[in-house]
Amino acid sequence: MDLLQGPERASGSAEAAALEVRRVSKAFVGRAGQATLALRDVDLSVERGTFVSLIGPSGCGKSTLLRIFGGLEQPSSGEMRSATEQQRGGLPSVAFVFQDYALFPWLSVVDNVAFGLRMAGVGKRERRDRARTWLARMGLAGFERSYPEQLSGGMRQRLSLARAFVTDPDVLLMDEPMAALDAQTRLLLQEDLLKLWEETRKTVVLVTHSLDEALLLGDRVVVMTARPGRIKLDLPVPLPRPRTTSSATGVAFSRMKADLWAALRDEVERSLEHS
Amino acid sequence: MTPLGTTEAIEGTEGDGAVVAAVALLRSAERRKRRIDLSLAVATPLSLLALWQVAADLHWVDPRIFTPPLQIARSAGQLISSGTLPSDLVATLARLAVGFAIGAAGGTAVGLLLGVVRPLRAALSPLFTALYAIPQIALLPLLLVIFGIGETAKVLTVVAVTFFVLEINALSAVRHFDPRLVEAGRAYGATRAKMFLHVLLPGSLPAIFTGLRVAIALGLVVITATEFVASNNGLGFLVWNSWQLFEPDQMYVGMATIALLGVALTGVIVAMERVAVPWAHRRHR
Repeated sequence: MDLLQGPERASGSAEAAALEVRRVSKAFVGRAGQATLALRDVDLSVERGTFVSLIGPSGCGKSTLLRIFGGLEQPSSGEMRSATEQQRGGLPSVAFVFQDYALFPWLSVVDNVAFGLRMAGVGKRERRDRARTWLARMGLAGFERSYPEQLSGGMRQRLSLARAFVTDPDVLLMDEPMAALDAQTRLLLQEDLLKLWEETRKTVVLVTHSLDEALLLGDRVVVMTARPGRIKLDLPVPLPRPRTTSSATGVAFSRMKADLWAALRDEVERSLEHS
Repeated sequence: MTPLGTTEAIEGTEGDGAVVAAVALLRSAERRKRRIDLSLAVATPLSLLALWQVAADLHWVDPRIFTPPLQIARSAGQLISSGTLPSDLVATLARLAVGFAIGAAGGTAVGLLLGVVRPLRAALSPLFTALYAIPQIALLPLLLVIFGIGETAKVLTVVAVTFFVLEINALSAVRHFDPRLVEAGRAYGATRAKMFLHVLLPGSLPAIFTGLRVAIALGLVVITATEFVASNNGLGFLVWNSWQLFEPDQMYVGMATIALLGVALTGVIVAMERVAVPWAHRRHR
């Protein structure tokens, strides 16, 4: 049954889209009045229950697109549709995982996890219970009363994942969640994330710089152009689930990686010329 | 992950005599260094006091001006038993406490508000920064004209200095707030009032406490100076009056009491900070 919800869903009907942007553009104006076009005419739909990796050169607007999906930014033009259901009790239907963790240093580990529940007005006892459950699941039992500053990078990102999962959102938006980790910790966390995703089948959009990570985790990999960002390539990843980090080997994987790099290379060079 | 305490062995090395012995050696070397640091810190001022005593006794320095420490201690005993010193201490402490409390509460509230409300900030922040540049003690004559030689004018000098320090610190805390944390707060449902209460306020506490520490020291300076010229009690008055009557031993007692008061009040603020901001304290461990 899990297999049916795998890559095949990627080509599913438009009704199943959890998130969709149509001809979305986004411009920013700096303090001195200089305007930047971050996104230009982006069309992208993310079907419910799929994992989409978003990759592109630095400054191409990947994070902006993610923030538009999450409602933290409004598009300058075009439309953004979200079919996510508002949860009971005002819990957000979308949860973020940030690159630099963005944990609240003044809150203990357990209160960091429970933050979203607290904002939604969930009672103290229930939110602590739910937070503890997720902390245990992320291997952080026993650190409830510590502060984020006392944890290692890998533990902080696990904490940040627990904070996202605890609200039981429809959609998870991850902005380079593993970019700040060393290579070995990163591998371990990728395995954690694979396992979590295969158990929960949330709709996920993951922004990453790593071709391997994009392919290993995603049902699709979407390549964006240099700024202003547009969709350049939308590549399905037909690797069977469940995957492990050893799925990132073999001829099929290498060929997909080569295709991705072929699409990405020109864009990276272009973004270097501009900067 | 967790650091070892001061006695237990490193896990798995219990049987390894060489490692255990090496760890014990390193620990005792570290303890010895810390003992030496501590004794030097205590010995230096004590030696200087002893040197002062000897220098005055042998008339290397004029004992009428540089009253030897033992005589200052006797004078302190007299001032305490006569009730002069305690009443001066209470007078100064009361002025400082009232002025500090009003100034700190007002300055923090206004600073946070200016940080959040842009038009208010544009209207008031440059003005406040300019006013802060005026030494608050320079306001005293004006305050005396307006309020007369009562307690109000004296307390207001402390209010003024405390207000501006806290206003500037709280405003700067909000202005330089980590935008990633604000974004995380928004992403997890913190709307305007909740954002302020659960994100901006707790995140600004370290800067607010830095302001409190600076302000209590400045407040003590300002109240001492105020009491020099516009009071007939308080520690500042004690120092000034002793100078005018040429009783340097009492002057030294007043000065030492002011210094000890400064240390004690800073200690109180630091203790409050450890309770209110345990996370920032742990970070520096």
